[in-house]
Amino acid sequence: MSAETLHNIKLFAPEVCLTLFLCLLFIVDGLIPKSRTNKVPMMVTIIACIAAVLLTCKVGTTSEAYFGGMLVNDGLTKFFRYFFFFTAAVSSYVAFGSSEIENRSRMEFSLLLICTTIGMGIMAGATHLLVLYMGIEMVSIISFVMAGFKRDNLRSNEASFKYLVFGGVASGLMIYGFSLLYGLTGSLNYPQITAYLSSTQGNLGLVFWLSLVLIYGGLAYKISAFPMHFWAPDVYEGAPTPVATFFSVGPKAAGFAAFLRMVLTVFAAKTAEGNWQMLPGISLTSAIAVISALTMVVGNLSAIGQTNVKRILAYSSIAHVGYMLMGLVTLDRSGLTAIIFYLIAYCAMNIGAFWVVGVVSNLRGREDLDAFRGMGWSMPVLGTCMGVFIFSLTGIPMFSGFIGKFLIFGSVIKSGGFLWLALLGVLNSVVSLYYYIKILKSMWLDKPEIAESLTLSPYHAFGLVGLAIPTVVLGLYFTPILEFAERTLSNIL
Amino acid sequence: MNQLIQFSSSLQGYLAVGAILFALGIFCVMTRKNAIGILLGIELILNAAGINFVAFSKFRTGLIDGQIVALFIMLIAAAEAAVALAVILRFYRLKQTIDADEASIMRN
Repeated sequence: MSAETLHNIKLFAPEVCLTLFLCLLFIVDGLIPKSRTNKVPMMVTIIACIAAVLLTCKVGTTSEAYFGGMLVNDGLTKFFRYFFFFTAAVSSYVAFGSSEIENRSRMEFSLLLICTTIGMGIMAGATHLLVLYMGIEMVSIISFVMAGFKRDNLRSNEASFKYLVFGGVASGLMIYGFSLLYGLTGSLNYPQITAYLSSTQGNLGLVFWLSLVLIYGGLAYKISAFPMHFWAPDVYEGAPTPVATFFSVGPKAAGFAAFLRMVLTVFAAKTAEGNWQMLPGISLTSAIAVISALTMVVGNLSAIGQTNVKRILAYSSIAHVGYMLMGLVTLDRSGLTAIIFYLIAYCAMNIGAFWVVGVVSNLRGREDLDAFRGMGWSMPVLGTCMGVFIFSLTGIPMFSGFIGKFLIFGSVIKSGGFLWLALLGVLNSVVSLYYYIKILKSMWLDKPEIAESLTLSPYHAFGLVGLAIPTVVLGLYFTPILEFAERTLSNIL
Repeated sequence: MNQLIQFSSSLQGYLAVGAILFALGIFCVMTRKNAIGILLGIELILNAAGINFVAFSKFRTGLIDGQIVALFIMLIAAAEAAVALAVILRFYRLKQTIDADEASIMRN
């Protein structure tokens, strides 16, 4: 093996490590007896994720393209790798505390989860259209299986079926868009595509815009942005709650990573001050602003009439994508720092909120608002944690969600030009308060139909408190995260 | 006739076939009620992209990368079909139908 190959593999080490653990898991599965409380796959997943995080620390100091320019290892990749490995570890912890993931299929769940995580890592680092496509498909196809994990449940099957049809069409649109872009620019590599696009000086024909729309269709599906958002509520509702928890954070952030990288490195170029500027003739900022506005409005307005809490959270996760996209219209460092902070805050609070829903649905067998009645009084820890997550999702001061929104709206206002968007964002936050508060009202103000004594297992309490603490702390003390985000952005290739 | 033969071996000819396949695929996905029909529509879309890649690689760049992409697209299509058939089969076991309109317990 040549020295260069070895060096490339070293840069790819986190994903390689996960692949090795995947193989290990197969072997372990054969060796251990099938007992009723089998937590070994979870342990292996968490250890794999920790090992991958450590390896990311190790390779993350350099900033270079590898495997012939197909993947890139820079600040953005590093940040998203940390993010995905953390999400995967937490999701497997959530899944193994839930009765929705049956004991006999826990091994398969862990395998699929690790596979998806590898795909997400590839998506974040891809600077080649084929590699990006392979990464997206690796995540999507496995997600279809995960959505239908409750095999004998009709809802779960329906979720899987809908996810598959929409996913197949969206990725088909995207690859057709890629083929047009390839024909136009003559290359699959991001740097070469950018070179071609800037050499045309903005004289781009209809084909370019058509390919852009098609590619957006595929990426919008992954991040569930308007107009490809409609699958999210159905899939999240039908899929097992731990799987929905994972979908609403992991693959979504992976799509966001691909989207960010594509906008920033293909259609924009870095300026001397470390900000970005759209290539001549391709000004996408207004388009992104409109998409962001529509995504927020559609997400929030659709959530209002819902009674199923999982559906409410699904619509809210659509609205949050709208807020995050808002940070991209400024194309400067403050906006992107805000996006990264928002992603971190969103990860903790959204996993937490879905987790609470999962716990309640395990107890009651359903997850509509009535199932939450009086839960706050019978399980104070659960109720308090849910309060923290919901306040943070709404964006009430003192919680991390507020700081995230404040940074994003602040950067949009500071850059000028998109004041209406910031205003719309604030209005949307106010609207969202209405449906979020319904959940808390049900938990704390409504009396339960029958008095019952419920206890929250220490397993869940540990995890929920572990997510609630950063949600509160990041709302009060957030400088280290901002510095981390600044460092992340300082070396995007 | 000569013109037709010339057209059929030009870049435009291949792109036309690709575009027609793509349009048929979209039409198929939108109008079919049968799950297998929808799946076939998706395959048509993917293969339209494959044809485009091969044609561009032959006539536009002269490099082999487009053809490799076409191979990968076939691979992905096969993987997707395998998962899709499994999902449809399970759906059929539970509902005794593969009509996509029947997948409607969850509505707003």
